[in-house]
Amino acid sequence: AADKINLMPQDFFAELCEQIIQHLNHKIPGVNTAELCQRMQTSGIEINAGDLEKIANVISFLFSTAARNSLSTEELVTTLGNAVSTLPKHAVQVIRHVWNERSKSISVSEDARSMATVGQFVDIKWKLGVAVSSDSCRSLKYPYVTVMLKVADPSGQITDKSFEMTIPQFQNFFRQFKEMAAVLETV
Amino acid sequence: QLVSALHNLTRHVVYRGLTEAEDILSLFPENFHQNLKNLLTKIILENISAWRNEAEASQISLPRLVDVDWRVDIKTSSDSISRMAIPTCLLQLKIQEDVALCGNSPVVSALTLELSKETLDTMLESLGRIRDQLSAVANK
Repeated sequence: AADKINLMPQDFFAELCEQIIQHLNHKIPGVNTAELCQRMQTSGIEINAGDLEKIANVISFLFSTAARNSLSTEELVTTLGNAVSTLPKHAVQVIRHVWNERSKSISVSEDARSMATVGQFVDIKWKLGVAVSSDSCRSLKYPYVTVMLKVADPSGQITDKSFEMTIPQFQNFFRQFKEMAAVLETV
Repeated sequence: QLVSALHNLTRHVVYRGLTEAEDILSLFPENFHQNLKNLLTKIILENISAWRNEAEASQISLPRLVDVDWRVDIKTSSDSISRMAIPTCLLQLKIQEDVALCGNSPVVSALTLELSKETLDTMLESLGRIRDQLSAVANK
């Protein structure tokens, strides 16, 4: 991952570290690597989502281990060990700076949320559409609901999942959630 | 050739959305055998709505929701918190990838998510808005 970090300019790397710290602080549900990757690609940086995810995982592990062991900044840099020489100077600088500023704010005790072994629901975006025509039917009046769920997986990466529902399916979907909410009330 | 011609005929009828016998009868050439024409039209009319539903179901689309399963759990303790009573919802959505891409062997993936009371409320609020929009559109 060290060689991939070379591809990241300092400000993007700093932003990634910042998001990781916020995730470890439970301030945000996850790190939006997909969005960060897209922005980097738009500014001409050749990095793919997979590489960025690996970098995020490595840095996240670094910071969370350091937090658990209450490492000082110097101890953290020592842990990086040999990697320090392969990492670009600006990356080590960022890591140092971020750790100096934020290490005290990372709460080592985990709350109930971080015990997730499955993805956590973050957000829902939706669209209501009507299919008007297709190659098999010239005149359609086919309503459907498109939904995009933002999910933070256990490692903190945020992914999007899109799918469609027919109207009866949507009504059933809504009913299931209402039932869930009713159960939660009684619990 | 026969199968291909029949296929083209039925596809054309579904595409144009023809539902009246006269419209279908008018597709046949002048000197077509009368009884055969009537029989074919009758069979087509009987199947037209099933074929149309089939066409709607297999048109290109985003992956489709196939099934919804859920469970409500209560988290009672963990290695870092000894006592708690936090209700959480576990939801599993079965999503089928685009039918047009999968052909005869549909790929179904399962998406499992956890929702807390807060995120469940967010979901309900959004779904309520979709429902309101649907009613607004239906009433137009």
